[in-house]
Amino acid sequence: MICFDQVRFRYRRDPVLRGLTFEGRRGEALGLFGANGAGKTTALRLCMALMHPEEGSVTVDSRSTAGLGPEDMVDLVGYLFQRPDDQLIRTTVREELAYGAERQGWAPERIAAAVAGALEECQLAGVAETHPYDLAMPKRRLVALASILVTDPKVLLLDEPTALLDRTGRALVAAIVRTRVAAGGTVIAVTHDPAFAIEALDRGVALEMGQVMQEGSPEELLRSGVAGLELPPAVVAAQRAGLTSKSLRMVDLASALARHRS
Amino acid sequence: MSAIEFSRVSFRYPTSGPVLRDVTFEAPAGRVTWIFGPAGAGASTLLLAAAGLAPGLTGGSLEGSVRILGQDPGSRSGRGAVQGKVAYVTATPYLQLSGMAESVFDEVAFAPANIGWDRARIEAAVPEALARLGIGHLADRIPEELSGGEQQRVVLAAMFVLRPDVWLLDEPTSALDGTGRELVRAFVRAEAERGCVVLFATEDAELGLALADEMVLLDEGSTVARGIPADLLGTELMWAMRAGSTGVGELARAANRLAGERAAHLAPPYPLTVEAAVERWR
Amino acid sequence: MSAPAAPEGLAARAHPFTPLVVSLAVVALAFLLPAPAGPLLLAALLIIIAILGGDPRALIPAAWLAVPFWVLLFILHALLGDGPMRTLGPLTLSVHGSALALTQSGRFTAIIVASVLVIRGFRPGRFVDAALEAGWPWTSAYITAATLNAIPRFQERAVRVQEAMRSRGLRVRGTLITRAKAFVPLALPLMLGALHEVDERTFALATRQVRAEGVSRTPLRPPADTALDLTVRWGAVLAVLGAIAWRFVA
Repeated sequence: MICFDQVRFRYRRDPVLRGLTFEGRRGEALGLFGANGAGKTTALRLCMALMHPEEGSVTVDSRSTAGLGPEDMVDLVGYLFQRPDDQLIRTTVREELAYGAERQGWAPERIAAAVAGALEECQLAGVAETHPYDLAMPKRRLVALASILVTDPKVLLLDEPTALLDRTGRALVAAIVRTRVAAGGTVIAVTHDPAFAIEALDRGVALEMGQVMQEGSPEELLRSGVAGLELPPAVVAAQRAGLTSKSLRMVDLASALARHRS
Repeated sequence: MSAIEFSRVSFRYPTSGPVLRDVTFEAPAGRVTWIFGPAGAGASTLLLAAAGLAPGLTGGSLEGSVRILGQDPGSRSGRGAVQGKVAYVTATPYLQLSGMAESVFDEVAFAPANIGWDRARIEAAVPEALARLGIGHLADRIPEELSGGEQQRVVLAAMFVLRPDVWLLDEPTSALDGTGRELVRAFVRAEAERGCVVLFATEDAELGLALADEMVLLDEGSTVARGIPADLLGTELMWAMRAGSTGVGELARAANRLAGERAAHLAPPYPLTVEAAVERWR
Repeated sequence: MSAPAAPEGLAARAHPFTPLVVSLAVVALAFLLPAPAGPLLLAALLIIIAILGGDPRALIPAAWLAVPFWVLLFILHALLGDGPMRTLGPLTLSVHGSALALTQSGRFTAIIVASVLVIRGFRPGRFVDAALEAGWPWTSAYITAATLNAIPRFQERAVRVQEAMRSRGLRVRGTLITRAKAFVPLALPLMLGALHEVDERTFALATRQVRAEGVSRTPLRPPADTALDLTVRWGAVLAVLGAIAWRFVA
């Protein structure tokens, strides 16, 4: 679905990506890990045609980003920026959510239905008529997320999706990622959140010096100490206590623990 | 003398309902006090009130009394009396940069320059503060170009340079990775040992457990419970108040709910750390 | 990730007062110098300063603002003006109108280029230090610096907002009409975001002793006020006085 092929990119004469090659597949949530400056956000921005590679190619659903801008990718891709305040433009949450669909020329009834769905999914129905700036940061971030979900893009690009969120928000985002993936969508997330990585992601690549240094499951990457991260304490405790579980996600660990003889 | 005292404090913003309701507590010097609560419980507002920023800069109305180092931070004379003694740190480091500094050195020198320290004193104090936060190597860098974690350390150094007596921290580690979090934890702990009052709010229960001597549980603007984190965090009250607990505690509780009556060994108080959990579950 | 480019060029290297004084002089001279040659030469001079002084990229935003004005003035005065007409190729132009268009274009261009150079070269910390050394009260220095600094910050923010909006489908490339239509939805997040940011920054700054009372701020690195700076500033003042005198005499 998403293909980076030998991508090179410079930011003001400093090389950031040096031959980056990786894939994001359908029905999969991929994590981008790495220290600051490794090129994670840059890779995300290249996917959205916000920037273009000097060498190599970036294709999304067989569409090359060459010569295109983000407005040309919008039918396929939704991008969640790190700072929600840069993209909030309407005076109520409901109208905010409708923006993208309006841009794409959807019929009003279709927009209303999609907005209602996104409000429900992101637990924002109670604040639908509130001004986004009157909401606390965690809710505002969810509004930004909801607004890119409305048009149901096949690809979601998430930049630190759980930063600035509270506990319920983080659980919600992980659930949203899993739902999208189950429906065949592709998610690429830049994250420093180990719990989110375990809950939401299927695979990860670790970037270092603008290239892929490691690939594997979130567990493998966290265990190897990528970007100074560690496995979430709950996972460590479960493994050390000898639990056997279907996956490392909270719900499966809890079942395993519930079944475990004391 | 308790260094921060809230006495029957109620507060509302200009366009909101009550955010703090009849809050009474004390945060003593030399100890780390943790305000814990679900989003919207009022923890950030409480810190703003302690800093004298609410209602001072935020607007709104405050009832009751807030005292910090014996002064009312909302009054002009009180503010003057605590000038330079109260540090306030939030979760978004880029919004705390002065915008006037072309280097990290100048950023840390900003506050001392503002209160009139002479240049010699500043030239001595700033490198010390940078070293204390482990960012001496960043002295010539442009603050806006640093990563979130580095910026947060710059902000801490910029506050530390004045040797404040009070630290008010609102989610100080949410932009940081594991190493950064540990550094902040150790720094804050050392400040408390230096005799400071530390009052911080975070949803990160692991951080709270590791750092705090005492916790105050807040729900919808009211103080619901006080106690030692290790004692409180494993009780059902945390979930009844929608505050949650550490990751290990969450797992333990989720399992308890699934197992129900059959599993007495999974009943609360839930283990909070890896070690405690392994002992219980093995 | 996107960091502000460090200010470059003459305006950034000079003593902070110099570009400000010069740009004020430019505004005065734009109206005092004999039209149409005066303003046009002034504009040309500033364009040369931009190129030679190390900040040629300043001409890009300046052009964005100035060129539509040139076109508008040309149509309004030269094409649609009356009085004696002259043919120039396929066009019939009003003589008087053409002179007026050239004058106003020259004035506008000179002022715009000067302003852009000043804003792009503005370094708030340095300005505050210079002002304090010159005896300004802290509040005046700080507010002036914060106001002038607001513009580059606004610009950085505008870039980020535009990216976010384009990523939601706003079309900004293409025809002039598309670009014009794109401006409106960008304005609101820009303003709101900027106001919001001012709010949050105010809290942070309040705790950095910005409101400290009873003390005077120590300038950290007062910029050198060189002989060249003084010469240029006095030169600018004298040029304005000279132009005023010329007006009375001629």
